[in-house]
Parts: sequence; structure tokens; C-alpha cells
Amino acid sequence: MNTLLFRYVPGNSFLHRLDPRVKITGMMIVSISIFMSSSLRQLASVALIFFLLLLVSSISPKIIFDAVRPMLLFLAVILILQFFLMDGEPVFYIMGHDATYEGLRHGVLLTLRFLFLLMFASLLTATTTPSLVTVGMERMLRPLPLRKLGISSFDLATMVFLSLHFVPFLYGSFSHLRDAQISRGLDMRRNPFGAVYSLSVPMVRIAITSAEEVAVAMESRCYQGGHRSSLHAPVLQKKDLAALLAFSILVLALV
Amino acid sequence: MSIEVKDVTFRYAPGTPLETTALEGISLSINKGEFVLISGAIGSGKSTLIRHLNGLLRPSSGQVTVDGIAAHGKKVKAKVGVLFQFPHQQLFGRTVFEDVAFGPGNFGLRNPELEKHVHDALEMLGLSQGICPISPFSLSGGQKRLVAIAGVLASRPDYIVLDEPLSGLDVGHKKSLLSALQLLSSKGTSVVVVSHQVSDLLSVAQRVFLLDRGSLVFSGTPAEYVRHSPPSMPEINFLMKELRSRGFDVRDDAFGIDDAFSEITRVLGLKGAVEE
Ligand SMILES: Nc1ncnc2c1ncn2[C@@H]1O[C@H](COP(=O)(O)OP(=O)(O)OP(=O)(O)O)[C@@H](O)[C@H]1O
Ligand SMILES: [Mg+2]
Repeated sequence: MNTLLFRYVPGNSFLHRLDPRVKITGMMIVSISIFMSSSLRQLASVALIFFLLLLVSSISPKIIFDAVRPMLLFLAVILILQFFLMDGEPVFYIMGHDATYEGLRHGVLLTLRFLFLLMFASLLTATTTPSLVTVGMERMLRPLPLRKLGISSFDLATMVFLSLHFVPFLYGSFSHLRDAQISRGLDMRRNPFGAVYSLSVPMVRIAITSAEEVAVAMESRCYQGGHRSSLHAPVLQKKDLAALLAFSILVLALV
Repeated sequence: MSIEVKDVTFRYAPGTPLETTALEGISLSINKGEFVLISGAIGSGKSTLIRHLNGLLRPSSGQVTVDGIAAHGKKVKAKVGVLFQFPHQQLFGRTVFEDVAFGPGNFGLRNPELEKHVHDALEMLGLSQGICPISPFSLSGGQKRLVAIAGVLASRPDYIVLDEPLSGLDVGHKKSLLSALQLLSSKGTSVVVVSHQVSDLLSVAQRVFLLDRGSLVFSGTPAEYVRHSPPSMPEINFLMKELRSRGFDVRDDAFGIDDAFSEITRVLGLKGAVEE
């Protein structure tokens, strides 16, 4: 069973102690450079940066792999579609479709980009408690004139926090449900239609009812948007800024 | 013909900082036709143990076999019917009939036997046939739970394993569920029930296993269980213990209201009251 999906893993590494704002900014810089990178060499540099961070964080690679695994099928589909649907120099030919070099190159780049985004995101959530992610985000959004749009930076941060909270929760419900249906003789391979049907119908209900429950629970504990004080008040220290600077230079230099 | 659990240890999230040892060195066996109660405080590993009985979880060390076959084998799912906690969440059919028929249908049963199995299962639990064409989502929480239990009974497995089946049921449906399980066990089906509602189950169970923080700390008959004075003991046994400590010579292994009543009247010499 896999309940470690995008979950916080307690630890005391340098990455764990870093200010959440620095980590979020770092995440943004990396995301931008991942999307701007257009060659395998650049993505190799991204990989190098990732493994350096992973070493520093003392998070086991298994946790990162677990977060990525549910997406692998989806990524494989993207890769195959790209391989066959792109015009270019044909490599071989199946069922009226040319598989092309260009398609392969694009497909690999695209899937690797997604993969790295997921990996960096899971590293962020593994080293930062959800409440610190929220606080960090809220502080960063504060200077924006969000009020004019009828929403406070706190509302926005809470929304992000709740989404983060729901990922492991829904995954937990999903594995519980899957166990129940497998015990009732569901064979996912032989009966894929039954699998989708018997899993998705209850899952949608669980998602809706639990969202409703959380909303009621928040309201009954007097939640209101607007400004709230927070349990942790992150303070930017010199080492945080130094880390951010060093990281930005590293990314710029390599990618 | 039995489920054999041999020296099973299980860890969640092994090799990570979140590693939890949920079961440690558990050995037990569940025989044909036996009615077994598994009790233990919350978080003691009961649900984790149950997931091993039909191979959903594989032990970190040790082994589980069902009728001599490794528990993770394909055939075992049909032999061991498991119902987990919060079963009302597993319903998905358009009608109650479709939902109850899901398990037996997957195990290869076809009409007209399928229909008979479904109707028998609903009847055993005191649900009327009129419920069949209704959408399961329009039922109450307790009714949903009964329908989910019917879904397990309808497959007619050799071993029935139920996690907290009594929670949220009224007295009448509790009684009909327990007598249905007792009937099945007398006909040779093994029944394993995990429950915190020990007092309801001691009078029907033949054997009790007590888990404590992942270890099996007690295994024996209900009478021995009560004498062992576990933390979750029926109120009536606290009364019997108290009476004994005040010098009344009542048996300390009586359980159930009837049993205790006849003990008390016996000691007080109220012979006539027993016949009543
Ligand atoms: N998916 C999981 N991932 C990690 N740890 C888990 C998981 N499920 C259970 N545990 C841990 O394993 C231990 C045993 O849990 P289990 O659910 O088996 O207890 P239980 O006896 O069924 O409790 P309850 O009476 O509350 O249902 C607990 O300490 C729990 O925190
Ligand atoms: Mg449990």
C-alpha cells in the first residue's frame, strides 16, 4: 500500500529547515527552467540538480518514486502518442502510422519534463509541512492586490493547503476502496470496465462528501477568510537568502 | 482445512522515517467452522491482520496459508470473503441487487443461482426483497452497511471475515446478523469477527484472540478471556468480579446476561427465579 504520496516526511536536513518561501521560489525557478529547456543535455543538468538536492534532503528515493509511480501510465501514453503522431523522418511503421525520430525526441522531452516537475514537487512537499507551505505561500501572495479580485491571499493559500491535504487523503480512500473491491473478486486486468466503474462511482461520492465534511467542520470551528495569525511565523535568515542565491546561480549556469 | 498464520511480522512504509511495525510475530490458526472473535484496542493491528488473511497485504516476514495455498494466490479471494471497516463506502451499483451480486458474479456465478444467492443473503440479514431494485445510495447508513455485508455472504465463501460489522446497527439487526453468522458457522463456514463490542460477541464466539500493539497476547475460549480480565471486558463481568471480591461465590467466567443471572440466583438460593 502506498500512502506516502506527496506527504511530509519528518527530518532535520538543511532542506527541511530552509524557509518555505525560499523553497517555493526555488521550485518556481526550477519549473520555469524545466519548461524552457529544449535539449536532453539541459534536462540532464536538471536531473543532476535534483539528485544533489535529494542527497542534501536525506529523503529516500523510494518516496519520490512512489509519488511519480501513479503517473507513469499517463506519461507512457503521452510518449507513445508523440512517437507516432509527429511528422518527420520515419523509423518504422505500424497500422498506418509512422513512428518518427522527431516524435521520439519530443515525446521523451515532454515526459521527462513532467517527470521532473513531479519529482521536484514531491521533494518540496516531503521536506515542508503542509502548514508551512501554506504560510510561505500566504506571505508571498500578500503584496499582490488580490483583495480587488474579492479574494485574500489567505483564502488562496488555504485553498492550496486543502488541495495538498486532499492528495494523500483521497489516495488513502482509494486504496481502501480498491482493497474492498478486490476482496469482492474484482480482477482489474480481466475486467477493466468493471474496475473503472466500481472504483470511480464510490470515489466521486467520497470526494464530494469529504469536501463537504471539511467545509462544515471548518465553518463550525468559525473559519473565516481574511487575515489570520499563524502558528509558525517563518523568519528569513541570511542562510536562507544565501541558499536561494546559490541555487538560482546553479540553475542558471547549468540549464 | 484452515487458515494458518505463521510468525507474521508486518511493517508499513518499510525503510522510511514513517516505518510502523503493525504486527509482530503473530501465529494463529482458524479452523473450519470456527467462530472467532479478534479484539484489541484501537490501533492494535486488527485491520492489518485481516488484510493478510486474503492476501491483500503480504507479510514482511512469516507466512499465511489458506487451505494450504499461499494467501496471496488468486483462488484465495473466493475462499475468504472479507468486509472492511466503513463498508458503506464501497457501494457502487445502480441497484442493491447489482451491488450484492458483484462479488458472486466476479467469482463466476450466473443466474439463476446468482439470484438465489443474493436473495438468501439479504434474507439472512433481515432485509426484505423489496430492497433489490432500490439505489444503494438512497439507503440509510446502517442499511448500506447491511447491504455491504450481504455482498460478502452472497459469495458463500468458506471463511467470512468481518471488520466491525456491528457498529451502527440497532439491537434487532445485530441479533439477526449474529444468528446468521452462527448458523453459517454451524454449517461449516469459519467466521472471523473483529469488534470492540465484545459483550455482544462473547456468547457466540468459540475462540477469542486479543491483540495488543501488534502482538497476540491472548488466545482462548470466551470463558478464559473473561478470566484473563482484558481491558475491554463486558460490564456484566465487572459486576461478577465485584461480587466475588465481596465474598459471593459466583463463577468469574460467566458471560452474557443469562449466564450471570443464573449464577446470581444460584448463589442467592433463589431457585424459582432460574426457571422464569
Ligand atoms: N496505511 C497505513 N500506513 C501506515 N501505517 C498504518 C496504515 N494503516 C495502519 N497503520 C498503523 O498500523 C497500526 C495498526 O493499525 P490497524 O488499522 O491495523 O489497527 P486496528 O486494530 O484495526 O484499529 P481500529 O480498532 O482503530 O480499527 C496503527 O499504529 C496504524 O497507525
Ligand atoms: Mg481497524
